[in-house]
Amino acid sequence: MDMNEIKEIFFQECEEQLAELESGLLKLNDGDRDPETVNAVFRAVHSIKGGAGAFGLDDLVSFAHVFETTLDCVRSNRLDPGPEVLKVMLKSADVLADLTNAARDGGSVDEARSRQLIKELEALANGEVPQASAAPAEPVAKPVAAAAPPPVNDEGFQPVAFSFDDFDAAEEPPLMEMPTYEIVFKPKSDLYAKGNEATLLLRDLSRLGEMSIHCDMGALPTLDRLSPESAYFFWKISLKTDKGEDAIRTVFEFAEWDCDLEISLIEDEVAQPGEELPMQPVPFDLSILDDEPAISVGVVEEEEQLASRQQDRDAAVAAAATASNVLQMAQSATRAPAEKAAPAASAAAQSAAAQQAAASAATPTIRVDLDRVDRLINLVGELVINQAMLSQSVVENDTNGTSSINMGLEELQQLTREIQDSVMAIRAQPVKPVFQRMSRIVREIADMTGKSVRLITEGENTEVDKTVIDKLAEPLTHMIRNAVDHGLETPEKRLAAGKSAEGTVRLTAKHRSGRIVIELADDGAGINREKVRQKAIDNDLIAADANLSDEEIDNLIFHAGFSTADKISDISGRGVGMDVVKRSIQALGGRINISSKPGHGSVFTMSLPLTLAVLDGMVVTVANQTLVVPLTAIVETLQPEASAIHSFGANQRLISIRNSFCPLVDVGRILNFRAIQANPVEGVALLVESEGGGQRALMVDAIQGQRQVVIKSLEANYTHVPGIAAATILGDGRVALILDVDAIVAASRGQSLKPEMSLAAAG
Amino acid sequence: MKKRVLTVDDSRTIRNMLLVTLNNAGFETIQAEDGVEGLEVLEEANPDVIVTDINMPRLDGFGFIEGVRKNDRYRAIPILVLTTESDAEKKNRARQAGATGWIVKPFDPTKLIDAIERVTA
Amino acid sequence: MASKKTAQKTLSLAPVLDLNEATALHEKLLALKGSDIVIDASAVERVGALCVQVLMAGAKTWEEDHLSFTFSKVSDAFEKTTQLIGVEIDHLVAKEI
Repeated sequence: MDMNEIKEIFFQECEEQLAELESGLLKLNDGDRDPETVNAVFRAVHSIKGGAGAFGLDDLVSFAHVFETTLDCVRSNRLDPGPEVLKVMLKSADVLADLTNAARDGGSVDEARSRQLIKELEALANGEVPQASAAPAEPVAKPVAAAAPPPVNDEGFQPVAFSFDDFDAAEEPPLMEMPTYEIVFKPKSDLYAKGNEATLLLRDLSRLGEMSIHCDMGALPTLDRLSPESAYFFWKISLKTDKGEDAIRTVFEFAEWDCDLEISLIEDEVAQPGEELPMQPVPFDLSILDDEPAISVGVVEEEEQLASRQQDRDAAVAAAATASNVLQMAQSATRAPAEKAAPAASAAAQSAAAQQAAASAATPTIRVDLDRVDRLINLVGELVINQAMLSQSVVENDTNGTSSINMGLEELQQLTREIQDSVMAIRAQPVKPVFQRMSRIVREIADMTGKSVRLITEGENTEVDKTVIDKLAEPLTHMIRNAVDHGLETPEKRLAAGKSAEGTVRLTAKHRSGRIVIELADDGAGINREKVRQKAIDNDLIAADANLSDEEIDNLIFHAGFSTADKISDISGRGVGMDVVKRSIQALGGRINISSKPGHGSVFTMSLPLTLAVLDGMVVTVANQTLVVPLTAIVETLQPEASAIHSFGANQRLISIRNSFCPLVDVGRILNFRAIQANPVEGVALLVESEGGGQRALMVDAIQGQRQVVIKSLEANYTHVPGIAAATILGDGRVALILDVDAIVAASRGQSLKPEMSLAAAG
Repeated sequence: MKKRVLTVDDSRTIRNMLLVTLNNAGFETIQAEDGVEGLEVLEEANPDVIVTDINMPRLDGFGFIEGVRKNDRYRAIPILVLTTESDAEKKNRARQAGATGWIVKPFDPTKLIDAIERVTA
Repeated sequence: MASKKTAQKTLSLAPVLDLNEATALHEKLLALKGSDIVIDASAVERVGALCVQVLMAGAKTWEEDHLSFTFSKVSDAFEKTTQLIGVEIDHLVAKEI
């Protein structure tokens, strides 16, 4: 491992610490006063500072230092973490994150902002509680008055700039004569109790120059009155050195408190005070004390070799003892010669393994490169396909169905499935980091818009595949911005409406029937349906007389170029509409819809697959093509009867299901697989629920069966095809397309909405 | 025989730096992530010297040092404390808990090795 | 001095004479009180001041008891450490003839 790798680890760790920091601060913000929460927050900043120092990241160190000092005030109960204090701290956490990113990726930070925060943090540490101000973040372009005072931490230490040059002259020994020091060293019992050792101190002292020593044993009692761990000996030392008194003091640096130490420079060599004492010169070779006797590598190897042979014998004995276990025997038999063949290597491996075992004794996790996991997931995908193909060819070739082969295949299928689930679980991660990022977005937008917002997150430990998490942040960010900017009212309007001035945005994650559902709810004004409707008419999205349900009106906001904001605000000025959000959710195989209650707020609900790698699908035939319909979309399947089919309009058909009518959608026609509509009675209808809430009956020719399929991206391998989400490879080796149900349903609505996409022939 | 060093630190960055520095200097290095783990691996590690951080979850450096000093077999082991600044108060507490010496973070590899050499035979 | 040769006991020192060993060594010596003693320090790799204190207290005690307290063999490490810390053991080391 080199420094760059350690640096990479440092930045990974920073990310974790920053997340820890933010979640801790948010807990404090919610009134948590557990000392461990404060400690964890402190540790996070402390840890970042420590690592940053090691890499000379000075900006990061100095900001972290001021932040840490203020946190230490909270930790020692000198500063109450009230809302105003936490506001500063949360902003500081954001700046710390920016500084970390800048340190990693180059880039620059808003220096005015970090200077301003340093001032605020220092003010807090000095006991100045900030005034609660309703004004949104004042611009920081204040003239920088006198330079900020140097950070003073609570111990009153001030960094003092110094140069080594200053010392050189002073330390220069007088020419010719080397000074002689007389040292009286009187250890206390504590010195030994703390793991210091007089012999080692004297060893280091003797290395400074020419030393004579006298050990005073006057205090030593006889054996029966001796307390073996008390200090009785003390020493008088005469040391001739050019290294100076500081060097002598450095030797005793760790022992200083646990001994009496007198050091005096003897001016006149003739009048040595130690003269009357019998001094032993200590001139000899001290190498024996420097290091343990060096053992040649050969000897070590021999020892290890012996040990490993012993282990082999032990293994053999153990294996023999359980002779019934054939596998174990085989293992030990193959292992033994291998180890003998490379004793040195195995010895090294053993010690490395022992070291690792010790290091990871209490570590429940390991870190693995994502690449490796991805590779594994790809391989398992191939395995699933391969297993399906094998099953199929056995079925095709072995009409007798030899039961042992079939049983074996069934077991293989089960195992494959289990391996797949387990491998997918490796990549599953809680949505927490993404949710945590959202709280910063909320703070920033609240600041910009002058709104007061509280973000509540729930279910942040809900796990989902990492590939989904990575793609979740962007749409979620837009939605949060939208919720705060457009959803919530200004504090004045809220108060006028009888609500609290502070708006609430609630972000929830949960698992529901094999998918992850993320809800974003605000308690704002809700969708202004009249306005939306009017806008849709103005923009020619709907006919002026179109009869739309409330739900359909609400869902109009997902249409391209749709924005109801009276003016383009700073936030929406970033140019992202809800249509983009919807498209990115759909690209993930997800659905999104909105439900809104005027005056009470809106709820956006996203439902996403837990993984982008596999899918439970229903394999169907449409116009001699094999398609896969995601099982999650299907409510039920039915065999239409002629009496249930009703035609209306030019080519619209409805199917009546339990006394309600549902539009019938011919998949083959929509995808241009065939020119004329198929006869519903000859096919099968799949009742699906689309994200708009409405049900549709998708007509297919036949159902082949249900199976789990491995998703292969069409975009990556071919190009995006409207109405098709992805592709897969079936057991017989054929490629099958996976249907994008929502796109098909949307396309079938062509008459009420302008077509969102032109359905070119697929394939 | 190589000298065995047990390092106790919750920061992965610092752990790695210690590992690289100590291995390069010819020490055998055993690592633990906090005081609790440090005490757990003590016997297995059987170190000649311990280097420990102070701020750690579960059991901090002070508690860890006290734990080692209470252990009949391992109480004689020299323990060096990693502190971020020359924080007199922390140093003092660490000393009272039984620390042998200290190393100021961010540590300079030479100083780390020096400090270890100073407290080990 | 060495009139009662039969009562002579031998004590072999452990390789590491640290803080922990001081108490053990103290007890071992106390148990041998009353006999001439020959100490084998040939295996000593490391010796701390506390154990030197115990040994010197032993020498003092044995001297008061008019019994002999000698080192038969001393390792290099033992000899050099005692010299380093200014503890004279030459007179206790059995001289080879």
